[in-house]
Amino acid sequence: MKDSVEDIIELSNDLRWKMGGDFHDHITESIYADASEIVEATVTTDSRKGRNAVDVTIDRIVTSRKWGFPIMFLVLGVVLWLTIIGANYPSGLLAELLLDSIHPALKSGAASLHFPWWLSGFLIDGVYLALAWVIAVMLPPMAIFFPLFTLLEDFGYLPRVAFNLDNLFKKAGAHGKQALTMSMGFGCNAAGVVATRIIDSPRERLIAIITNNFSLCNGRWPTQILIATIFVGAVVPKALSGTAAVLSVIGIAVLGMAFMFTSSWLLSKTVLKGQVSTFNLELPPYRPPRFWKTLYTSLIDRTLIVLWRAIVFAAPAGAVIWLISNIMIGDHSIAYWMINSLDGFGWLIGLNGVILVAYIVAIPANEIVIPTVLMLTVLVTGMSGGEGAGVMFELDSANATGEILKAGGWTLLTAVNLMLFSLLHNPCSTTIYTIYRETKSAKWTAVATLMPLIMGFVVTFLVAQVWRLF
Amino acid sequence: MNVSGPLFNLLVFLGVLVLAYVLFRPTKGWFWLVANSVKTNHKVITEDVLKQLYTLENQGEHILKKEVVNSLHYNDGTLERVIATMEENGLVEELGQGEIRLTALGRDYALKIVRVHRLWEKYLAEKTGFDKTEWHARAEKMEHQLSHEETNVLATELGNPIYDPHGDPIPSHSGEYADIDGAHLNDLPVDTVGKIVHIEDEPEVYYRQILAENIHIGSVIRVVENTDRRVLFYAEGEEFILAPEVARNLTIEVLETQEELEELAVRLSALGTGEKAEILGISKECRGDSRRRLLDLGFVKGTPIQIDLVSPLQNPKAYLVKGTTIALRDDQAAKILIKKM
Repeated sequence: MKDSVEDIIELSNDLRWKMGGDFHDHITESIYADASEIVEATVTTDSRKGRNAVDVTIDRIVTSRKWGFPIMFLVLGVVLWLTIIGANYPSGLLAELLLDSIHPALKSGAASLHFPWWLSGFLIDGVYLALAWVIAVMLPPMAIFFPLFTLLEDFGYLPRVAFNLDNLFKKAGAHGKQALTMSMGFGCNAAGVVATRIIDSPRERLIAIITNNFSLCNGRWPTQILIATIFVGAVVPKALSGTAAVLSVIGIAVLGMAFMFTSSWLLSKTVLKGQVSTFNLELPPYRPPRFWKTLYTSLIDRTLIVLWRAIVFAAPAGAVIWLISNIMIGDHSIAYWMINSLDGFGWLIGLNGVILVAYIVAIPANEIVIPTVLMLTVLVTGMSGGEGAGVMFELDSANATGEILKAGGWTLLTAVNLMLFSLLHNPCSTTIYTIYRETKSAKWTAVATLMPLIMGFVVTFLVAQVWRLF
Repeated sequence: MNVSGPLFNLLVFLGVLVLAYVLFRPTKGWFWLVANSVKTNHKVITEDVLKQLYTLENQGEHILKKEVVNSLHYNDGTLERVIATMEENGLVEELGQGEIRLTALGRDYALKIVRVHRLWEKYLAEKTGFDKTEWHARAEKMEHQLSHEETNVLATELGNPIYDPHGDPIPSHSGEYADIDGAHLNDLPVDTVGKIVHIEDEPEVYYRQILAENIHIGSVIRVVENTDRRVLFYAEGEEFILAPEVARNLTIEVLETQEELEELAVRLSALGTGEKAEILGISKECRGDSRRRLLDLGFVKGTPIQIDLVSPLQNPKAYLVKGTTIALRDDQAAKILIKKM
């Protein structure tokens, strides 16, 4: 028995040797030949051959040299505008409900139940507040952005965008479809990372995953807009301040794209050059989007899953923020000591200890960076205002926020570097976790996490030093 | 808190950058040099000598020990000691007057290293994305590292290939290997029709030039002009000009029966908008996953094809294949052969 098995293996090796390398080609060819024979025998088609005339017309327009790019930018612009502007109102409503109504109600409820101060502080000021904040800031833009994006996807327009832009991405060693995952990243990096599944070439997919963080996600847009309004808007004449603020935020987003292209190119030439790289892009026929189905799946599959992961990570973050502000070592809180020890390094890169501590404890969600910064600033400067140790807050007017930050020692340099650092730092923990889930590799997760962080340190350091030279 | 001036900080930063560059720049960084020199031991040197002798003997040359010592860049003393040990172990033998040659045992050993080298090149071509220019150097390192068993596992996984991606035969585990029949391109008379069966990857300067010209292994060519100055030939609807010493690195199998079909073959990248064509096949240069993906999408012999859309940046182009629109980049299209109709 054993002998005959070995004989068979020997025979198969022998045959393989004789058959040569075209084996797979011949099999595929004969499969297609058989298939087309079956089709001819069984399928009847009407005389119209080739593609649908409407499709061809649409394709001629959206991929034309003249209209291809303007249409693309217009569509992306409209989607982003609808998301950022449209999300303001539901975000405001949610904030009013969760932060201004339910939070005090929970506090007084806890007081009437005679909770000890540390328990209500930990649970309500820590855990609940972080959750509420993330939901209020994150849910509305995602609930607008994802359905819009999925509708475009369903209609069949997005592959055409990849087709139009592929040559640019090719020069950076990437895949045209990265244009789509990058745009998705403007909504949420975690969702952008999941979306890289559409890229079927291993090397280009890893590039898209690792560089997705350079798309400014909707957790970071509000930070950028707020800081730009307070500091950049203030250095130009009043009439232009709005425009200057908007332009500086757009500048940061464009800078992010530049970093995305550069690091894609570097990655493809260095650590990723051994990964298999293939390319093909199917341009499917257009079809009317299935509106309700799309709405449902994008809300369930994208929005809620991402929101759930964010919640899972944000709850402990809230607890940590409350704890470091309330546990005392000697005369001061843990937060105070952390800030003190990071102040030197913070100064070197044109930031300060408060910002660095905020970025450490707010790894789970970029949304709570500014509330944490405000809380910590009030805590260390000992100024009046705020809600108390460990209770994050935000102020209604940008002016009042600016007053607190300036009292905390902020200058225009701090603001510029914060905007840069907000673009160039590690992805939030939801995204890091998603990267691990998608790549199943600790190595690539570490690269994706540390590369932007190191870039952020280098860039802010250089800006700070050059700024101080003059 | 102003511990150090900005100018000082910038200078320190610059210093760190320069240091990192000196230590870690590709291949010539000090870190790599040290790491590599630690790895170069007697086994590696022995195997390099064996391979060198094997190649020279196959070219039918008599080999002087001095030549071998000069052609491999090692510290003289080490190399002589290694060759002495090899003689003791019965891998090489002296013939007098400084001439040496491989023993049967030595040939066997050399063949095994050649097998690992070529198998590894095949592996790099089929299963990884490393650029062609890197295959040789990577295989040079790997040939010293794989054990006999590992090599056999690798061979089985690759389907016991007969040729490496350059067209060199891969010795089987029992030491047999296929022959390549053919002549150097610069030796062929005008109007010879033949097929490129081997592209030599050494010296690297010539190899890079061949790659830059987009010359593909497996292409059918026709020699148009062959002088001392240049060799001009047609292949796949395009014209190529090489210096004779570069052309020497291409081995051509002369085709006696003029296969007209093959000669009409042009590359898909040469198809114009509005033209119709039929696919003849995919070039041997398209390997691994890329090849299988194209086959699965329906890029098989006999399929009608035409350009459907051109991207605003001219590349990629979308082709209509079996009723589906599929975009391919120009460098891929250059590896698909068609017959215009």
